[in-house]
Order: sequence, then structure tokens, then C-alpha cells
Amino acid sequence: MENNNSMSASQRFFYRFGLSATIILAVASIVVLVLVGRFGADRPVEYRDDLDHFKYGSLGSEHEFGIPYWIWRALPELFRDKLPGDKSGWQSVGFVFEKGKQLPVGMSQRRYLGFDVVWLNCAFCHAGTVRETPQSEPKVYAAMPANTFDFRGFMRFLFATGEDRRFTPQDILRQIDIIRKREGLGKTPLIDRLVLRFYGIYYMRERLLTLRDRLEFIKQQPEWGPGRVDTFNPLKVYFSFPPEQLSPQEIIGTTDFPSIWNQGQRESLKMNLHWDGNNVSLEERNRSAAMGTGITPPTGDRRSLQRVADWLRKLDAPPYPFKIDKNLAGQGAPIYKNYCAGCHGADGKDFRGELAGKVVPISEIATDTRRLDSYTYDVAVNQNLIFAGYGAERFSHFRKTFGYANSPLDGLWLRSPYLHNGSVPTLRDLLEPSDKRPKTFYRGYDVYDQKRVGFVADVAAEQGKKYFLYDTDEIKQPGNSNKGHEGKGYGTELTPAEKDALVEYLKTF
Amino acid sequence: MADAGKKMSVWKICLALLILFGAVGAAIGWYKFFREEAQPDWVTATAEMRFKYGSIGAENDAGIPYWIFFVLPRMFPEKLPGPGGYASLGVAWEQGQELPIGFTKKVIGFPRVANNCASCHTASYRKSPNENPVFVATGPNHTLDLQAFFRFVVDCAKDPRFNADEIMREIALVYELPFLDRLIYRYLLIPITKKRLMEREAQFKWVYHKDFPLWGRGRDDAMNLTKYFLLNAPMDNSIGPTDMPSVWNLKKYQPEKGMLMNLAGDSHDARSVIIDSALGLLSAEPKDRAEFLTQVDWLVKYLSEVPAPKYPFPIDQELAAAGKTVFDHNCASCHRSDRTGTRVPVEEVGTDKERLATWSKQAAIDSNKMVKSFGIERKGLVEIEPSGYIAAFLDGIWLRAPYLHNGSVPTLRDMLKPVAERPKIFYRGYDVYDPGDVGFVTQGADAQRVGTKFDVSERASGNHGHEYGTNLPAKDKDALIEYLKTM
Repeated sequence: MENNNSMSASQRFFYRFGLSATIILAVASIVVLVLVGRFGADRPVEYRDDLDHFKYGSLGSEHEFGIPYWIWRALPELFRDKLPGDKSGWQSVGFVFEKGKQLPVGMSQRRYLGFDVVWLNCAFCHAGTVRETPQSEPKVYAAMPANTFDFRGFMRFLFATGEDRRFTPQDILRQIDIIRKREGLGKTPLIDRLVLRFYGIYYMRERLLTLRDRLEFIKQQPEWGPGRVDTFNPLKVYFSFPPEQLSPQEIIGTTDFPSIWNQGQRESLKMNLHWDGNNVSLEERNRSAAMGTGITPPTGDRRSLQRVADWLRKLDAPPYPFKIDKNLAGQGAPIYKNYCAGCHGADGKDFRGELAGKVVPISEIATDTRRLDSYTYDVAVNQNLIFAGYGAERFSHFRKTFGYANSPLDGLWLRSPYLHNGSVPTLRDLLEPSDKRPKTFYRGYDVYDQKRVGFVADVAAEQGKKYFLYDTDEIKQPGNSNKGHEGKGYGTELTPAEKDALVEYLKTF
Repeated sequence: MADAGKKMSVWKICLALLILFGAVGAAIGWYKFFREEAQPDWVTATAEMRFKYGSIGAENDAGIPYWIFFVLPRMFPEKLPGPGGYASLGVAWEQGQELPIGFTKKVIGFPRVANNCASCHTASYRKSPNENPVFVATGPNHTLDLQAFFRFVVDCAKDPRFNADEIMREIALVYELPFLDRLIYRYLLIPITKKRLMEREAQFKWVYHKDFPLWGRGRDDAMNLTKYFLLNAPMDNSIGPTDMPSVWNLKKYQPEKGMLMNLAGDSHDARSVIIDSALGLLSAEPKDRAEFLTQVDWLVKYLSEVPAPKYPFPIDQELAAAGKTVFDHNCASCHRSDRTGTRVPVEEVGTDKERLATWSKQAAIDSNKMVKSFGIERKGLVEIEPSGYIAAFLDGIWLRAPYLHNGSVPTLRDMLKPVAERPKIFYRGYDVYDPGDVGFVTQGADAQRVGTKFDVSERASGNHGHEYGTNLPAKDKDALIEYLKTM
């Protein structure tokens, strides 16, 4: 009291002011700390096993494209009517789910901006399934082409949800709560609810619709179907090239997803990578492909990508799991050596060959030209700016080529349908001249055809699931031609018995 | 006393802190805005690389902050002539290189992009459409749409979307700027760049003149550039877009023999031309005159010695030998004689006159004064009224298509036709070569898509004149053309 009395008025003011300021500051710091703790984390779900990391590990694509896990769960239920085929869920667009997993192969999860968000990694295009018979359990093979995944169907579904009037905070949060209740979880926590209610869902919708508009040009292209993607036209959109000004020659570039095992030998032999062989740097090719999952130079997780890359360098192609006629395969070996080895390498393990990994001029290989033409000199030089500012990471190895690259044939049995555009269903068909190859066939079915070597291609539907009818008519479906890679040098003039032997031998790759 | 001492020391501490903060601030300011870093070694590894990518000092005043330069084509693709980002402007962009030839990157405080001589003086050609381009440093850049580039950067700056929020958002997609750089970009570089680019619009008024035809690919209005940029002259009604010239083998110009340079003999010698062109690129007085003149000396030496490129297709040597006789009788009196490199009156050669009206004796006098005021001594511009065009040396003529000073005749074969038979409409800037007619392919779907339309009826683009050798028998023309390939 005495002390207080001796204070002057101004001292008293500062004393009180100081006290309240301290309290306000303390409270504010606590609030900031709580918020930072709640929203500041950036932490992927990690996997100890390399295979799991490949299938479910995060490359950082969630930073730019991630959607909250619970919205991911709600979308196929709320918008079931927008799903294609059997409308069973994300499976309907060809995602592969392993037993007991809520996320499909190729989808990773990360804690970011206060939410568990999910988005894609390499495996969504590079993992697939095989069934021995329609009754068998599908077996998942990592690093094979995603034979069932319909990329375009996936995008079409996402965009359709964004366009729908039910894409509102109320509808989506209600759907999330229904699922959470079913799984014995409580309601969405209040703070998440508030963020989603007043910001998250509107933002996501806006992003979806923007992306839809930017990718509008894809509508001009024939349907991709499962297992295929246009790699370089979306890159033009990324560079803001106005699609309507592009030459009609370059607007279709649909190709099969490739297998991505045994990268190390390709790298050490300096092979031309990508279908047209436009890059010899494995490391650059990897980062370029990772951008396809949604990473950007600032947001990509370098360590994670490095781990995937190192694993893929050493990963062997899975051996053919069905019976091989050793005797017949033995007869096929010398035929392979005579006809195929020069371009495709000594065998499935040793990729050395005079022209292996080199680009064959288009006039010689004579396969469909669309993919080649879709990659232009202007794209190549603009790619020089990708990863600029990050030192040696900047792209500098992309080159316009004028043909398609000779690929090693490791794990060939899993790489059906064949040719860069996936226009020939089986190996046995590929050994026929183009006018004897199937004019139409079905893609996306994962039951294996052990006789012709490739996926069964004459099943239109199974248990409510429809498969994609691929039409090789290049007038109706530009980019789909099954011509080329034919003539004496390509083995299409061998006798049927020789062809059978060669196909049997290729099973050993 | 004790109190006063205490007060003094408080003041001293404050003062010391102030000085310390000032010094730290100055050091950061110097580091972030003025510190010059040498370009990386690969740039100066060879003379050709230095010509293509080496800085000539233009980054100081004409430089655009790297990340702004980077995002402009992505933010404003509608202001470019077509798809392809900067490539749509026809720049000579090598695969694997971060920037096109003639675009220099240098750190002066922060990375900046500017230009050097090679942006206009690098030619490209392809022997067939199924081939990547070959770039020839010091050749004429016949694919570059310089006017579109000038307009592009100004148009971007004028757009309301050229603001800190939107540019920073675009940069964040491709690069994570450090915190301090983000502030610098947001509050200084973006507004300053916008202001400076918009100021260019005044100087570029004639580039936007709606009644003036566009230059099209491979041409620039060189003397008007000097007039409006260096002299800040008021806009007049003259236009004179001319072909970008080759700048190889400059030692052929011998001023002591009365030879002049530039298409109308506007300049005395190579050094003067290089100084004036470089000043144009700097768009300001050089910051360091000695350094500038060192660069100029290097360029004079380099360009004097670079040989013209050899014709890349087979040549029929026998036919070419017969062609030499035709050349000696019909062409040599201007193109290989004492007259070569000197002015031929326009009345005699009969080519389009408009280019001459873009320059004057007074402009030459004023420009010489201006450059002298920078403390730069040079022989300079010729102080007489322009009256004709220089009889050209024909070294590397195969790569200098289209022909005549205004690039109005697509091929050498067309040059040997009377005016009435020369193409009236063709497309410039497509780089596939036509060895049959000797020149670039200028017709057909691809040439139309890539090139810009050239209409000889437009102002300053007449294809008349130089009707020499047009009456030669067909076989003599063939022989002559074959011989010209050897030059």
C-alpha cells in the first residue's frame, strides 16, 4: 500500500499497462504456440519397408494437391452416381486396394496445415495387378504399368464432384460423419470442422474447377482408357502454352504407363529414357515424372524421392509365375538372338545390345507418330527452366528426338498391351503383321492369357465392371494405330511355330 | 555529475547502436542490390560461349529480375505470338541451356536477365523438319520477333495482374525465395520493374503505332531504335525495318578504303557500330566506362576473326566453277570490287527507300555528341544525309536469307527473278532450309504456322530494285546460285 501510494499517477498507469500487456502477450503466445502445434506440422506417414514406401510413401505431392483424408473417403460415397462402372468406390476408376488398407496403392498421407492430407506417388501409375483366373485373388506387382488405373476417369470423377451442387461444406461434412460413425469414430473435431466449413471445402472446389479448366484440352483427345496417359501435353499446360494455339499434330500423346524396375542398368548404359528417348538422365527423368504426381520444385521431398530412385535402380522384374515350357523356350532363344537382341538387349537381365536404348527413326519403326509429335522442341527448351534456382537440379538433358527408343524387355510379360501406345494386346499378336493384329480389344482386365502372353483382351465386362474397348482405327481414334514394328526384321514373317517358341522364351525375361 | 555521466553514456550507446545498425543495413543493402558476381566459368570457357551468353553490362539498367523474367510467359501467355513461352518469340534457344542465346544472367545484388549482341545475331537452320536446329553464332537471327518481345514485356507491365501478390504466387510455384528476398521482390523489385517497364512505353511509342506495319520475324527498325532510345527524339512518320545482319568476319570492312558499315553506310567502322549497338542494349550510359570499352574491344576482335559458316549441303563443284564466270561478269563489279562496302545511290540500285528516311545527318551529329558526352571516343556515325545502300559483301550469303536490306526476297533464286515474278506474300521465320532455291522454306503449312506473314505491299517492305542478272539464261542462274553457295 505504502509503495502504491508513493507512486505517481503516471507510474501507476505504466504499472497497470505493463501488467495487462504482459498478460495479453502471454495469452497470445500460448494461442500462437497452440496454433503452430495444431497447424504447423509437415510430417509424412513413413514406412520402414522400401516396398511399402514405394506404394504408400510421400513424395511431397500433398503440399500442392493434397486433399483431406476424410474428404477423400467421403467423395465416392457422396457422389456415387458420378463414378463409372460398378460404382463400388475408388476401385471403379481402377485404384488398387490391398487388404486392410484405406488408401489405395499409389496414395500417400501427410500431416500438413493441420490435416491428414492424401495425394499421389509413383505407384499410382506404376503398380498393377494380375489374376491367374477370374476366381483368383489379384496379386499386386509394384513398378509394373498400372494396367487397371484409368487416370482420365479419375480426373473426370474429381471434376464432376467439383461441379456438383452437393459439393458443399454441409453435404461433405455430413457424409464424413456418416463414415466416421460407421467406423466407430466420433464426430469431426470442432476445429477441423470450422476450417473445412468456412474455408477448406470452398478452396478445394475452386482448385478442382481451375484444374478442370486448365486440362480442358484433353477433351479433344480420344479416350485414354486404363493404363494410359498423355505425358507431355499436360506439361504444356503447366508452361501456360495456350492449347488452342498448338499445332493439331501435337495435341495427342497418349501412351502406356511403362514398367520402372531395373533402372540402374538403364542408367549405367546411358539409355534413352521415355518412349521417344528424350532424356538420358535417370535422375532428371525421375523428378520429371514425380512432377506428374503433383510435386513442385519447392515442395518435392528430395529424400523420399531419392529412396524410391535407389530402390528402383536395383529392383528386379518379377519372374513369370506360370508354367514355362523349357524346351520350347530353348528353341525361342536363338530366334530372339537373331531378331531382337540387337535392339532389345542380350536377354531379360543383360540389356547390352548394339542399338539397345537408342532411338530408331520413326520412318524405320513406323509405329504411331502422335506421341513423338506431341513432344516438341519448344517443350524441350522450356523444360530447361524446371528446377531453376536449385543448382544442379535444373533440367538440362531433355532433347527433342525423331523416333522411338529401343527398350530392354525385362518383365515383358507384365507390360501388356504392347507398343508405346498399348495398341497390341499380346506378344503373340505383336508378332503378326499389323493387318492381322486385333482391330479392337478390351483393356483394363487383369486376368492373364498364358497362351498369347498378355492380359486377356476379349472380355467386355465381369460382375458389373465394364472394360475399355480399344479401337486401333487411327481415323476414328488418332494416336491408337497398331501399325509398325513389323516386317521381316521384326519377326512378323516367322512361322507360327517359331513365333510360339519366341513368345515362350520371352516369358523368361 | 554522476547523472550527467550516465546520460552521456546512454547517448553514446545509442549512437554506437545507431551506427552499428546503419552499417549492417548498408552492408545488407550493398549485398542485396549492388554486389556483382562474376558469371560462372562455363560462360567464358570459349569465345563462342562468351559471345552467346556473356554479359556486356546490360543487367545494370536494362536487366529484369530473374524470377520476374521467369514467370512472365506463364502469367501472360496471351501476350506472346503463340504457344512456347519465350520460344514463341523465335529466340535461339539451345537444348539444355537455361536461357536462350543472347540472354545473359548475372547477379548484381540479385540475379538479373538482360541481353547481349547474340540475341539478334545468332542464326538457326534445320536441314530437314526431322532434325533439331543448328545455331550459328554471329549469323542473322531470322526467326526472332524482336518487336513482339519489346511489346511483350511492356504489355505485361501494363497488365493489372502484374502485381506483387500474383507474381509472388507464381514464383512460389517454381522456387522458394528466402524470406528477405521475398520482401525485396514484393516491396521493391516488382513495383520498380513495373514502373521501369512502363516508362519504356513512351520510348516504344512507334513500336505500337497502329498505322505502321509490324516488323515480323528477323527484322528490326535499327536507326529508329537509336533515334528514339539514344536521342529521345520526337516520333516522326518514318519506318525502316531491316534484316538483322550477320556480324561475322568484320575484318572485311576496311574503313581506310572508304568502306562504311550498316545497311545504308551510316557508320564509319566496326568499333563504332558495336559501341552504338551495345549502348542500345544497355539503354543507359555505361556504369563503368573502362569495363564497357574492354568488352567492346573483345567483341571487335572476336567478330573480326569469326569466319562465315560453310554451306551445309553438298555443292556441285563443276557447276559452281561455271557459276564463278557468271559472277565475275554480272556481280563482281559491286560485290567483289573496290565498290564493295561503299554506298550505291538508291536511284541506281532501285530498292525500297523508306529505310533511308529513318536517319539523317542531324541525327548522326546528335548521336555522336551524345556518345562523346559519355566520355567514349569513336569514329562514330557518318554525318551526311543517307542516300543509298551499301554494296554488300556476300560471305555466308546462304545463311543471310531473306535478301535485300529489308528482307523482302525469300531466296537467291527469287533474287534473280524480275520484280514482277518475286513472291508477293511469304512467311518469314521458319528455319527449315531450302537448298534448291537457297534460302529458307517460306511457303506451306509449317512456314505459315511458325512464321510471320511478309507482304511486299506494306510500307518499307517493297521488293523492287536490284534487278541484276534477272535476264540470265536459266543454266547461268543455276550455276551462279551454285557458286554463291561456296561464299
